[in-house]
Amino acid sequence: MYKRRIMKDRLFTLAVSVLGLLALAPLFHIIYTVTVRGVPAILEAGPSFFTEPPAPPGSERLGGIAPALLGSFWLALISTMLGIPLAFLVGLFLYEFKESRLARLVRVFTMSLLEIPTILVGMLVYTIVVIPLGGFSVAAGAIALAIVMLPYVATYVERALDSVPATYREAALGLGLSRARTSLIIAGIARRGVLAGFLIGFAKAIGETAPLLFTVGSARNSLNPSPFEPGDAVPLLVFQFIATPYENWIKLAWGAAFVLTVTVLTVFIALRVVVREVRL
Amino acid sequence: MEKAVTELKPPLEVQIRELRVKLEGREILKGVSLSAKPGAVTAVMGPSGSGKSTLLKTINRLIEYYPGVEVEGDVVVGGVSAFEMDPYLLRRYVAMVFQTPNPFPHLTIYDNVALGPRIHGLAKSKKELDEIVRWALEKAMLWDEVKDRLNDYPSKLSGGQQQRLSLARALALRPPVLLLDEPTANIDPVNTKKIEEAIIGLAREEGTTVLIVTHTPQQAARISDYIAVLYEGRLVEWGPTKEVVLRPRHEITRAYLKGEI
Repeated sequence: MYKRRIMKDRLFTLAVSVLGLLALAPLFHIIYTVTVRGVPAILEAGPSFFTEPPAPPGSERLGGIAPALLGSFWLALISTMLGIPLAFLVGLFLYEFKESRLARLVRVFTMSLLEIPTILVGMLVYTIVVIPLGGFSVAAGAIALAIVMLPYVATYVERALDSVPATYREAALGLGLSRARTSLIIAGIARRGVLAGFLIGFAKAIGETAPLLFTVGSARNSLNPSPFEPGDAVPLLVFQFIATPYENWIKLAWGAAFVLTVTVLTVFIALRVVVREVRL
Repeated sequence: MEKAVTELKPPLEVQIRELRVKLEGREILKGVSLSAKPGAVTAVMGPSGSGKSTLLKTINRLIEYYPGVEVEGDVVVGGVSAFEMDPYLLRRYVAMVFQTPNPFPHLTIYDNVALGPRIHGLAKSKKELDEIVRWALEKAMLWDEVKDRLNDYPSKLSGGQQQRLSLARALALRPPVLLLDEPTANIDPVNTKKIEEAIIGLAREEGTTVLIVTHTPQQAARISDYIAVLYEGRLVEWGPTKEVVLRPRHEITRAYLKGEI
């Protein structure tokens, strides 16, 4: 009887471990493939990988992904500058007026935003920004990304604030602080969780492709420094180049995928460190 | 409507009149009348769930942040109804210390104490603020232990020191009324003694009106001038400490003081 239980326990542990490894397999496969194909491509292109636009299709040379890097830089900067403060305020509002009817409505709205395919966000921005302004721009893409990151960051911020014990809130209110000041104190206490939310938003903004399809304009050869002109983005370049028949562009796509993977992994590792250090 | 009360003149007597408080339909306080005098310590006692914390949190209107709250009756502070005052102003005069030590972990010792005076604009200069911080820490019997490390974070302090820091943070407002909700429940005897001395000092030297919720009859006997006993939302006994301890009028008080309920 006793032995059977031990056997069962071991079998279960084994099954769970195997399934766990299986779940991790795609991640390792991605990292492995992207590294094995991306690193040689970057080495072949040399430093120009980071400084030049792509070479013409079918050419012997690779060129680089400089316009995409520049575009992604602008996208990350503008979308976080727009999206994070707004999301922070939404998170504060949801925390502060938790039970109010408006907060419930906003929560339902942000949750549905979380579920909407991001390509629809791209189409929305196409209709309300790109068409009225008369053309694609990096800034329009950044607006789409800001909308995409909003629910993630807001939810994270709200949860971080919620995790602060109620006694601190009462202490702040008990000192005669207004509700606004009180929630800023709570945000200060939960600052690591809030920061984690910001990083999630940043990682989202860096990696999303679909919202950019109808917004930034895939201006792949332009090193125009203005974010109000059409531009490119790293994930967009990966998506479009990998589907071409040109060997040099496919190599560029793998190199760009490697850059993207490293960036996103760095953000997530930073996130783990931040979250682990949460202490009250 | 809140009237334009902008200032109260200490000392402030607290008068609780026929106070009824419901939380989500459940009646917690069932008509309590009681007053607390300046310069005296009033101990509020009673078994768990008798409404002690609710009573304190109604005095500074923190209760209003609880879901489904209904308040009837009145709390009069220095002659003015608390419910006719701006609650943020009210809390400048009626400060509170809680059961769990709760100094803000992301602010330094100095900034914790300075927060209240800064928000309410009580100091005109850095020097004046320094003096308020020092005064509050001295009154909370913590100054000697932290004067050389005011820029440390509270996590470096012991639990008892953190509770005295919470007390100092409340005192920095120079509140004429001080509410304490079982401030020594989680604190060791040495720190408890310091906190008790601080409380007595405030009542005697500053004329502060002190209301303290406590579970230990010994503590009430040590520091209070008056004892009020709540039982199931009603005031069953209220009088000078000696009388209540030596000759409790009510059976419930007797049982409570003996530790039977």
